[in-house]
Amino acid sequence: MELLLNEEQVLLREAAAKLGASMGGPRQARTLRDAGIESDAAAWSEIVGAGWLSALVAERHSGLGLGIFDLGLALEETGKHVVMAPLVETASAIWAVTNAIEQSHPARNAIESKIVVPATTLPGQRYDRAAGVTFDPQESILTGSVSFVPFGASAELFLVDMNASGATALCLVPRNAAGLSITTTPNVDGSTSGTLIFSRVRITSDEIISCGEATAAILTKMQELLVLGTAAELLGVAQAAFDMTLGYVKLREQFGKQIGSFQALQHRLVNCFVDAELNRSLLFQVLSAWDDGTSHPAMVSAAKARVGKGALNTVRTALQLHGAIGYTDEHDIGIYFKRAVALAAKYGNEITHVGRFSELTLPAQLAAG
Amino acid sequence: MQWNNTTLFSDDNPADRAFRKEVRDWIAANCPKDLCNRPLRIDPPELKPWHRKLYERGWIAPHWPKEAGGMGATLTQQIILFEEMSRVGAPTPYPHGLNFIGPLIVDVGTPVQKALHLPSILTGDNTWCQGYSEPGSGSDLASLSTKAVLDGNVFVVNGHKIWTTNGHFADWMFALVRTDPEARPRHAGITMLLIDLKSPGITVRPIQTIRGDAEFAEEFFVDVRVPKENMLGQLNCGWQVANKLLGSERFTTGHPRNAAVILNRARQVAEYSGAIRDPAFLHRMALLEIDLLAFSAFYRHAASLHSNGRAPPSMAPVIKIAGGELGQQASELLVDAAGPLGSSAVDIMIGKTAFNPAGDLFEMRRVTVGSGTVEIQRNILAKRVLNLPS
Repeated sequence: MELLLNEEQVLLREAAAKLGASMGGPRQARTLRDAGIESDAAAWSEIVGAGWLSALVAERHSGLGLGIFDLGLALEETGKHVVMAPLVETASAIWAVTNAIEQSHPARNAIESKIVVPATTLPGQRYDRAAGVTFDPQESILTGSVSFVPFGASAELFLVDMNASGATALCLVPRNAAGLSITTTPNVDGSTSGTLIFSRVRITSDEIISCGEATAAILTKMQELLVLGTAAELLGVAQAAFDMTLGYVKLREQFGKQIGSFQALQHRLVNCFVDAELNRSLLFQVLSAWDDGTSHPAMVSAAKARVGKGALNTVRTALQLHGAIGYTDEHDIGIYFKRAVALAAKYGNEITHVGRFSELTLPAQLAAG
Repeated sequence: MQWNNTTLFSDDNPADRAFRKEVRDWIAANCPKDLCNRPLRIDPPELKPWHRKLYERGWIAPHWPKEAGGMGATLTQQIILFEEMSRVGAPTPYPHGLNFIGPLIVDVGTPVQKALHLPSILTGDNTWCQGYSEPGSGSDLASLSTKAVLDGNVFVVNGHKIWTTNGHFADWMFALVRTDPEARPRHAGITMLLIDLKSPGITVRPIQTIRGDAEFAEEFFVDVRVPKENMLGQLNCGWQVANKLLGSERFTTGHPRNAAVILNRARQVAEYSGAIRDPAFLHRMALLEIDLLAFSAFYRHAASLHSNGRAPPSMAPVIKIAGGELGQQASELLVDAAGPLGSSAVDIMIGKTAFNPAGDLFEMRRVTVGSGTVEIQRNILAKRVLNLPS
């Protein structure tokens, strides 16, 4: 169902759709993947030009003063066009940095027009349990590792959360910092997963952007932005795959009829449609609640879990309904399939988030006993 | 923040909040406790005093216009009334008079029909039933064959209606009957009649359901004489009259609270049985809670679009499919939560509250069949929303 939007929101969404149509698309995503490029530099410079990196930054901090609801509208569109760029990551990191520091803090300039990527492990992600970065305040050095960091090859700065004598702190680490090694492995959609190893990386006090009581809350909120923004992209990917399939079953003929006339296939498509309708309502209401400060952390997990599950079901159905042509690398439906697989796995898949949802909503006495 | 699956996404404005409180307080003071949270269906006669109280308070027909004796309430107020009743497990009045035929009489009824029927629907003095299905006409309703032949100023009705909820309690039936056997398409030969069930020639037989109660009935019509002034709308226009109804009435019959109530029962029963400590149970419950959250979000979204006059044609079928199937899955979880008690034919008492998991399981089978199966709803979405070919 349509979202009730104001004029600005309609314009933002149109601009994102236009950017996606002109810069993105499955063919472009395939080209980038084949060239081993995780981020589309041309699309990125358009995104920077559009000002969306500061979308979540309050107007008093010279941002656009929008919310994740608004950014979600744009991300759904860039998702539809499989735009490969660190919009979710950088917008979330900039939100965290600007909320943590004063306007006059030098980090404010350091992040300007930079690709800033959070290097963080979300709660409930059970892999790589031991990973984490420790800060030694005596020597001002970082030691440890973070895995599954996206855009490791193109990030200019990493926003790292670290354990500083038991408390959470956030710091910005340039990619060329001495002692930081970055390795990346490719994912099926052309994105990458990076591992950052910090071997006594020395940081300056200007690079520490948050170490007070508010830090943990900022980190949690930033992680929620990563999850929600990714869910919005994923919603767009599933929608594009669905639309492509709907077009295909109206063209393709077998038994002398359009295959879209067969009830078995119609009901599979309807199930995807119903699911997507619920997921869009869910995600945008959670985004709106996040902006209002009324969202519950369980809602965030619910949104990612359900959007991920629905998107995977939709792209599987899409592939099935395309028949053999869908199994070729040449056909674009496979690009959406792989993109959905990658985004569903990113920042917690269905299992992770359902487990997290369960922990967060279980009555306290049961959790204790 | 406290997690409560029945208040999420609540977005009352101050006036609505005040109304909600007023409703809540009034229900607490006025709803008979022995009617609340009953595991079995309550038949219409037992419900009449509660119906009457709601009528006297002016809240029996929130969605009817004021001039017809209703509240002229906003959709949000209607939803609040429903939510507050179901919050304490108070029974909601049956919809056949208030939600189905009442609004149709308000819309297309003659002055005589309005004067005759609207007051007794509001007071609850007359119980109504819906005579649509026939033994040979279920999903293919337009094939119905109960015949009404005009004899002067009287229709003579012959045929057989079935699966009529409350048929054996009803005073009146609104029925779709065939008045033109030759009409093509077939639905162009159907008329809506208001039939007094005390008329000679009608035999009503209750049918026991798998739930164990007699929720529905069948009616045999042999030369039943129905005055022509009991025709609702024009001759051969019954299909259009019936189809005027598919909109806001879904907002109470399809409210997410229906599934939430059962899901919360599953949680209570699981705490009692120990299933709550089983990771497999918790995972299934979490999945359904997440589905409930998504359906609640869709429902709120649909309500706000509806209030803006922008509800899409997909809304009613999606509510029916998603809400119905969710309620069903919740009832399946409830049975599993009860473990070996899941098959109990008698109520399980936990403290002072009675649970009947198998009863809920049976009850919920109905919701994906009645008033258009979910398969028919899927056909509607495929044809009218996704524009898939025939």
